[in-house]
Amino acid sequence: MLARTFTHALVGLESRRVEVEAHLQNGLPAFAIVGLADRACQEAKERVRSGIASAELQWPGHRITVNLAPADLRKEGSGFDLPIALAVLAASRQVPLGALAGHAAVGELALDGRLRPVPGTLVAAEGARRGGARRLVCAAESGPEVLLAGVEPVPVRHLAEAVAYFRGERDPPPVEAPPGDVAVAVPDLADVRGQERARRALEIAAAGAHNLLLAGPPGIGKTMLARRLPGILPRLDDEEALEVTRIHSVAGLLPQGGGLLRTPPFRAPHHTASTAAVIGGGPHPRPGEASLAHRGVLLLDELPEFPRPVLEALRQPLEDGTVAVARVGGRVVFPARFQLVGTMNMCPCGARGDPAAQCTCSPQRLDRYRERLSRALLDRFDLVVALPRPRAGELGGAAGEASAAVRERVVAARARAGDDLARTTDADALLTRAVERLPLSGRGHARVARVARTIAALAAAPHVAPEHVAEALAYRSPTELAVA
Amino acid sequence: MSELALAVFAAARDVHAAPRETRSRQYEQFAASFDDRAYVDELSQRGFRWLARSDPAFPPLLGAIHDPPPGLFLRGAADTRVLAAPSVAVVGARSCADYGAHVARGLARGLAAAGVVVVSGLARGVDGWAHRGALDAGGTTVAVLGCGIDRDYPRAHARLAAEVAAAGLVVSEYPPGVAPAPWRFPARNRIVAGLARATVVVEARERSGALITADLALEEGRDVLAVPGEITSALSRGTNALLRLGATVVTGPEDVLEVLGIAPRPNEDNGGPAPGSPAAAALAALADGAATADEIARNARLDPAATAAALVELELAGVVTSQGGVYRR
Ligand SMILES: Nc1ncnc2c1ncn2[C@@H]1O[C@H](COP(=O)(O)OP(=O)(O)OP(=O)(O)O)[C@@H](O)[C@H]1O
Ligand SMILES: [Mg+2]
Ligand SMILES: [Zn+2]
Repeated sequence: MLARTFTHALVGLESRRVEVEAHLQNGLPAFAIVGLADRACQEAKERVRSGIASAELQWPGHRITVNLAPADLRKEGSGFDLPIALAVLAASRQVPLGALAGHAAVGELALDGRLRPVPGTLVAAEGARRGGARRLVCAAESGPEVLLAGVEPVPVRHLAEAVAYFRGERDPPPVEAPPGDVAVAVPDLADVRGQERARRALEIAAAGAHNLLLAGPPGIGKTMLARRLPGILPRLDDEEALEVTRIHSVAGLLPQGGGLLRTPPFRAPHHTASTAAVIGGGPHPRPGEASLAHRGVLLLDELPEFPRPVLEALRQPLEDGTVAVARVGGRVVFPARFQLVGTMNMCPCGARGDPAAQCTCSPQRLDRYRERLSRALLDRFDLVVALPRPRAGELGGAAGEASAAVRERVVAARARAGDDLARTTDADALLTRAVERLPLSGRGHARVARVARTIAALAAAPHVAPEHVAEALAYRSPTELAVA
Repeated sequence: MSELALAVFAAARDVHAAPRETRSRQYEQFAASFDDRAYVDELSQRGFRWLARSDPAFPPLLGAIHDPPPGLFLRGAADTRVLAAPSVAVVGARSCADYGAHVARGLARGLAAAGVVVVSGLARGVDGWAHRGALDAGGTTVAVLGCGIDRDYPRAHARLAAEVAAAGLVVSEYPPGVAPAPWRFPARNRIVAGLARATVVVEARERSGALITADLALEEGRDVLAVPGEITSALSRGTNALLRLGATVVTGPEDVLEVLGIAPRPNEDNGGPAPGSPAAAALAALADGAATADEIARNARLDPAATAAALVELELAGVVTSQGGVYRR
């Protein structure tokens, strides 16, 4: 006796169709899963057996072989539980064979037969749609995610419910309206008092998707400002939102209730995070922080504290917007086009830039710090802002402009950014003079030119004028990082 | 006696290149097999020159000190005449405060703009800022190394050294390959003091290297000047002590130029920002001392964008310097 169900296995952010074939033969009772199943997948045996018993169904007294095809694809994780259980039940005629047609299934079984959502259900559902399945049987929590993929979900809480559905004893649950967007609370810029220059730089960074480094003494709002960047970025369009939602689904980080992630994501890994956690990877390749920040913001708070391998590994995504993770039998590529924000003190003791404190760092210590920094992707930041400590009283000032107002200007500037503004002759001359007079590298020239273009776009100017170049020059790497 | 042979011999044996070294048997053997011409050729292939003390181009002031080096190894574009031009040594603490950095840079800029060669030791802190200031003004500066002419020490100043070499000279009494060593720095300081008509000390702790340079300058009868600092700062102890001993007070480049008998350039090439311009407003907002960009914006009633642009304009004109987000005129 033979029965088949279909499911979709995750390969990075893609899925591949997997045929689950249950074969019941006479012989001593036994249960084997073949077809390159990993340990979590092998453990399905226990969960499926126990789940079927809990659903008050019969465990067939046969020699049972479950084959997962294609055999060359490694099957990882627990999402195969449900399709395996359904195949076994269909092979033993406890579920009508024909009822499975047009369906795919994904989900993990608890020992008591309850169904649990698995990471990447969105991606599996997209695979199901491409594979021609009309409906996807899944955990109740995964319903909204499946709907996003354009497949009709059959959300079930327990294996018994799935069986009842296939036996026609239970109506398919009504198809809900597509879920609304995920509501993400982003703190507002209105909370930041003073720090006008830093706010301006944040706006330019948002308008031009420039990487931004905030340098200054402790407790002056560097982290606070960085956390408010997603709130002034344009909201994600449909395609971007789906892409981001997919990544978060695969990472198992999609909030309950589903819906698209429309707010640019914000990720802030701690400097003790491993390279794998930041970049992605591990035995079952999962997106790392760099990919979770795709189309959003990656904050490296206290940049110089991050170990060198992590910073080096970030060069690839900063270069081409992807991370490639090696895995058994090939490579998986995750998108990772994020905007990088770094914060740092101006010296190891933190006193530099603070008129009220005296730096106690030895020259050697300062040198090491600077050397570490120059390796720390310093060349990747288009904008560098030195934030000195404001004088007492400044933080008691009026509330700043709210994020929504800033975002409007950012959106307008982005719409103009495609115009590819040219520099006037005077602007060109200023840039050339600046490269001669200020400690600016060749790379610095290109950086200033890019930022000046964004500033002109924010100003809705027809050309990049000298004042735009001049302002851009103010956010270059502070001279003390280059000399003495 | 070959001065070059002595310089190379002394460096190889880690001894001071004093004439008495030439009286040893080892030196005689060394000198017998030393090929001056071949060595100079090799130097020039690596982009270095040798200026022997007996060469008429050797700077007379340095030749007049009681313990002059046998010669100088040179790296850089400038003619050897810059070593004999009116020059001032600007020296001070390696771990200087923002104040010292700003003052050193500003003084050097003013001196270089008046045509004075700024001499220093390429060290961190005041030395580095002095070279930087001279470069800002498009002037000539000379860096004296305490290690082989082929070394960049400290490494963090490799780029600065290249800029100095492009606009002036990097010099050393040590041939290529000599590593920096603590005992070579006082020797280096005697050359800094020896090359310069006057030595200005900007921030120095007690018993610091900059004070050694000042002492050496005094011994050679050169002028020593010092920049007053806060009486509560350890970085001012050395300079304030010099002032108590009679060093000339420096409150600006004019004070140094006066000692040298050089008239300040009457018309600076940048006439300052146009009246009524944002740059003029920003500059006026700096009249009471250092300020952050946000403070300047508030006082000058400019938005942050206009403030940033105005301050860069002033920086490029050499009227304002910035450090850690704090601006000074
Ligand atoms: N400009 C500001 N406006 C309002 N509150 C501020 C501002 N700056 C600092 N604060 C307050 O101080 C706290 C610390 O700020 P934040 O963590 O952003 O400082 P930081 O610059 O990142 O310092 P550190 O270097 O210590 O990380 C904030 O949570 C906020 O309450
Ligand atoms: Mg912080
Ligand atoms: Zn410090």
